[in-house]
Amino acid sequence: MATLVLDNGAGTAKVGYSTDKEPRIIPNCVMKAKNVRTRIFVGDQLEECKDLSSLFYLLPFQKGYLVNWDIERQVWDHMFGKDRYRVEFSDTNLIITEPFFNFQSIQEAMTEVLFEEYQFKALYRCNAPELSQYRYKYRYMESPLCTLVIDSGYSFTHIVPYCKGKKLRDAVTRINVGGKLLTNHLKEIISYRQLMVMDETCVVNQMKEDVCYVSSHFSQDMELARKKGPENTILREYVLPDFSHISRGYVRQKDDTTERKGEEQLIRMNNERFAVPELLFHPADVGIQEMGIPEAVIHVLSKLDEEMRPHLLNNIVLTGGNCHLPGFQDRLYRDIRSLASDEYDVNIFLPPNPITYAWEGGCLLAQDPDFENLVLTRQDYEEQGLSYALEKFDVW
Amino acid sequence: MADKRESARQKTAEQKRVLDDVSRRRRQRKVLEALEFDNFSEDPHADLKMSKKAPKFEEAMDVNGPSSKKRRKSRGDFKQRYRKTFAALLEEEYLSSQQMVNREGVTYFSASAPPSPLPERHFCAVCGFSSNYTCVQCGARFCCIRCLGTHQDTRCLKWTA
Ligand SMILES: [Zn+2]
Ligand SMILES: [Zn+2]
Repeated sequence: MATLVLDNGAGTAKVGYSTDKEPRIIPNCVMKAKNVRTRIFVGDQLEECKDLSSLFYLLPFQKGYLVNWDIERQVWDHMFGKDRYRVEFSDTNLIITEPFFNFQSIQEAMTEVLFEEYQFKALYRCNAPELSQYRYKYRYMESPLCTLVIDSGYSFTHIVPYCKGKKLRDAVTRINVGGKLLTNHLKEIISYRQLMVMDETCVVNQMKEDVCYVSSHFSQDMELARKKGPENTILREYVLPDFSHISRGYVRQKDDTTERKGEEQLIRMNNERFAVPELLFHPADVGIQEMGIPEAVIHVLSKLDEEMRPHLLNNIVLTGGNCHLPGFQDRLYRDIRSLASDEYDVNIFLPPNPITYAWEGGCLLAQDPDFENLVLTRQDYEEQGLSYALEKFDVW
Repeated sequence: MADKRESARQKTAEQKRVLDDVSRRRRQRKVLEALEFDNFSEDPHADLKMSKKAPKFEEAMDVNGPSSKKRRKSRGDFKQRYRKTFAALLEEEYLSSQQMVNREGVTYFSASAPPSPLPERHFCAVCGFSSNYTCVQCGARFCCIRCLGTHQDTRCLKWTA
């Protein structure tokens, strides 16, 4: 019998069998390309699309919660179907993640769709950070008592304390800044300052991943960005793809003296490189009246017993795509170190792949000898009903 | 008579200023909403009938063999119960959170990070550097005469992202 692990993120789904080495990362959406009018692209079919300009997105998630089931079904049909995982539903368990505070009616819909329409054999629903802390504990012979997961994904950022594997729900804190907001903000400031790119979500997102970073010396970097010529070590020129000669955007090398051939479009990325990710640390910069991540970490600790704090500070784990931003871990360490009490050690772990870390945890969980007692079987569901099925898991 | 006209003019000027404040706040709210948009423009295929090409859920499932026959309940029923916008879900959650004091306090709403006590920072809309001034007309930030000029020439009150 197989177990499929699906970390069903609002931006990308991380999916694969528990025995696989790594998951596929599948955009959790359906896309239409402006210049390809004969078809649509479901999830990772986007790889077949040569022209990524003006992509139109149909997303199943809104503000981090699954609201459009028609779109999600299209993505799942593709993912579970013959072109990808060829799932034998009646003989497959599914581990699937849901957001914190997932609304009751979404949980109901999820359970119903997975059991009645797809007919999985058994189900395990959980929050992604639960799997991440499971994965983290697995690194040690003697597992740490507590873990503080910082999960910064597409829709938002959560700070979640765990003690002995249990979520300390009362302290879970959300910052409404995620990768989607960063990309949209970058689109807006480029469109305001240089070139209209409001329809180029995919291209600008790539540019964000290519040139943005988290600054550990914000005002110093601002001063550097003011300078002219070689003294300005911040400035990058980014060549936009045109999808005929240039299939992907890239940073133009400083010593590249080759004649610019005709039409290529350049974006100057100066203070934008670090002012955009800065929103994770200062949401108020764009008018969101919330604490940034380091302050929120201290806020979470303040809600918990003092004796847990050193354990949590000593076991901070970073997950989600935003943790890939260069400098993210350093900045976080600096800020938390300066805010937290001197008597505690601060230790922040950045997994080699913060995007797939929860998925890896799911694979380990599937091999746990206790796993079969943790799942809800379709038989249980059919005999005991929906409300029993909901109470079995603590995703709230 | 002249007095009357004078005071009327003052009144409209005042009303304008107040209205401006409201519309500035509305602008700010729109900016935040725009940061959540999935798309800026409309569906580029809106004029096409794509639905015929996109496989229907039922068809896709039938490929997977006999187990799909066991599927119960009509899709229509499911749609009715679960087609809810995020706003509707929030509303539901809010109402139930009002009644559930026993659920140990924390809700979707209370889990939100509180405001930061740090002082606000402002950045020039045109160049992104630290800004000390506000455009009188629209409330956008700028840092120097040059940036104000750029802002006024092409962007002031026109840009409504
Ligand atoms: Zn300026
Ligand atoms: Zn203005």
